[in-house]
Amino acid sequence: MIKLTDINKTYPGAVPLHVLKGINLHVKKGELVSIMGASGSGKSTLLNILGILDNYDSGEYLLDGTLIKDLSENRAAEYRNRMIGFVFQSFNLINYKNAVENVALPLFYQGVSRRKRNLLAMEQLEKMGLADRSHHLPGELSGGQKQRVAIARAMITNPSIILADEPTGALDSTTSRDVMELFRQLNRQEGKTIVIVTHDPGVGKQCDRIIRISDGLIIPDNSIITSN
Amino acid sequence: MKIPFFDIENWKEIGSTLARNKTRTFLTAFGIFWGVFMLACLMGGARGAEDLLRRNFEGFATNSAILFPGNTTMPYKGHAKGRRWQADHTDIERLRLLLPELQTVTSQSSQWNISFRNGRHSFSGQVWGVEEAFTEVMLPHIESGRFINEADVKLQRKVAVVGKKVANELFPGESSPVRKTILVNGISYTIIGIAYQTSEIQMNDRIDNVVIIPVSTFQKSFNRGDKVDLIMMVGRRSADFSELESKIRRILYSRHQVDPNDKSAMWFLNISDMFSKVDTLFLAISFLALFIGLSTLVAGIIGIGNIMWVIVKERTQEFGIRRAIGAKPIDVTVQILSEGVTLTAIAGMAGISLACMALGITAMLTTNETSVPRFQMTLWQALLIIGIFILLGTLAGLIPAIKAMRIKPIEALNDK
Repeated sequence: MIKLTDINKTYPGAVPLHVLKGINLHVKKGELVSIMGASGSGKSTLLNILGILDNYDSGEYLLDGTLIKDLSENRAAEYRNRMIGFVFQSFNLINYKNAVENVALPLFYQGVSRRKRNLLAMEQLEKMGLADRSHHLPGELSGGQKQRVAIARAMITNPSIILADEPTGALDSTTSRDVMELFRQLNRQEGKTIVIVTHDPGVGKQCDRIIRISDGLIIPDNSIITSN
Repeated sequence: MKIPFFDIENWKEIGSTLARNKTRTFLTAFGIFWGVFMLACLMGGARGAEDLLRRNFEGFATNSAILFPGNTTMPYKGHAKGRRWQADHTDIERLRLLLPELQTVTSQSSQWNISFRNGRHSFSGQVWGVEEAFTEVMLPHIESGRFINEADVKLQRKVAVVGKKVANELFPGESSPVRKTILVNGISYTIIGIAYQTSEIQMNDRIDNVVIIPVSTFQKSFNRGDKVDLIMMVGRRSADFSELESKIRRILYSRHQVDPNDKSAMWFLNISDMFSKVDTLFLAISFLALFIGLSTLVAGIIGIGNIMWVIVKERTQEFGIRRAIGAKPIDVTVQILSEGVTLTAIAGMAGISLACMALGITAMLTTNETSVPRFQMTLWQALLIIGIFILLGTLAGLIPAIKAMRIKPIEALNDK
């Protein structure tokens, strides 16, 4: 599903910063993996490249068989919309839109009619157990509920991969467990490929595989933790 | 690609965004509303003010001139200077004959401090002697009865048109004294009409305060021979009194043996010249209104641009989120511009509507029996104002919109 070959990324500046120094990474379809690393290790940059939010300098990134390289802003936006579902640490819901509208928003950019996208959004919220909260604004929801709304939004376009950036970073431990359980469920039941960037070892343990990144390189650690 | 303007989804999205951010929407809209309101009031008000001013000259022929014979200031053909000369009916006939550009030539003569009586009631004022053509120079309002006519003059009838105020003083409590008798300087006249004026132009006095009788009767009563005090002329459409003045002087001077160079021997009042000066004044007022209006407009537009800029800054994260989940740069630009245009259109409409109401009320308050001042805008003016506002509102929103377009999703999202 994800195939990175020798990805290099340097941030230009007075002192150019070589952040990614040849990343090779392979995530298979239906895998639930976590990317772990200290801050400054390059994991955020890697996530941005995986999410087509940033470009890389050299190497090759194949997402679901599509070469993601030197895309125009428009093409990148289209790919993000159709192939990637984002889940962020701070939820990043639009605060003046209610839950259903937030979930439906990606479909707006696909030109789906309001009635149809709200219908689909309701379905997603029902799956997340939030049907009764569908007309609440984000400000009226708890952290766990907000994150589930965000996950519903990530799922609504039926993307190839879900990218989660510290999805439990702003949640307490009980809620974190619930959210992780939700990810595992999506992974098991719907076969979603999910990549979670985290520095919480507890989160990492619940994934099929931990990819450790340090100083711009993947640490060749083949310890695959199988769940169950 | 869908054209956003024709995409109902786009409008629904904009509608819900504006509706959910009421304070922001209101503040932005108010700036536009106020700009349009001021501009519309100024543009509509300028015409109304012009009408109010013009009301002062109502009923007076604009392309006209009046000449007042006076004393000579130069000796000529054996006559000493300082000689008083008077115009007469032969002058009027000659002017009519020699200058076909003149539509009307007529006269007015007056006698001051004459007593008017009706039994115990008395009043004093001017008596005017005029022809029926007087009305072509200055149209009085006739409350009842009629004005002097040709037969009155020809037959030297002892009839009088009485000013409204004179009538009220002499016939208190009577609805109409027409057909009654009035004593003017001890001679009785039959009242044929009651006249008044609403304009502010006076020939010696307001019509309300005088008694008007046929010129022939006047000349006989006051021993004027066939002399008249002043000659009034109305030109045809093409007549230009600046050019006619010298011809008129020559016609009168030669007959009365006045030095052709003696400008001061006759005062020539060019009324059309005065009216054109007033026209210039109105033009200046319109320009002033336009200038102030445009300044308000520019201030309003800068205000919109400023608010849009702040809004874009405030919504950086939102646009970042939108970009991350699939909004193209153009989608964000279109969103901001559409929000701006929608706001501008609605607020502009409201501004125009309220301005029209304000103008309508002003018009109602200033309407009198003779005229309704045009405190109003033409449809084209209204459309022009809205058009300019939408165009400039779009331009003002363009810079913030382009800034928003350049927002990189990662920058916006990292800004936690």
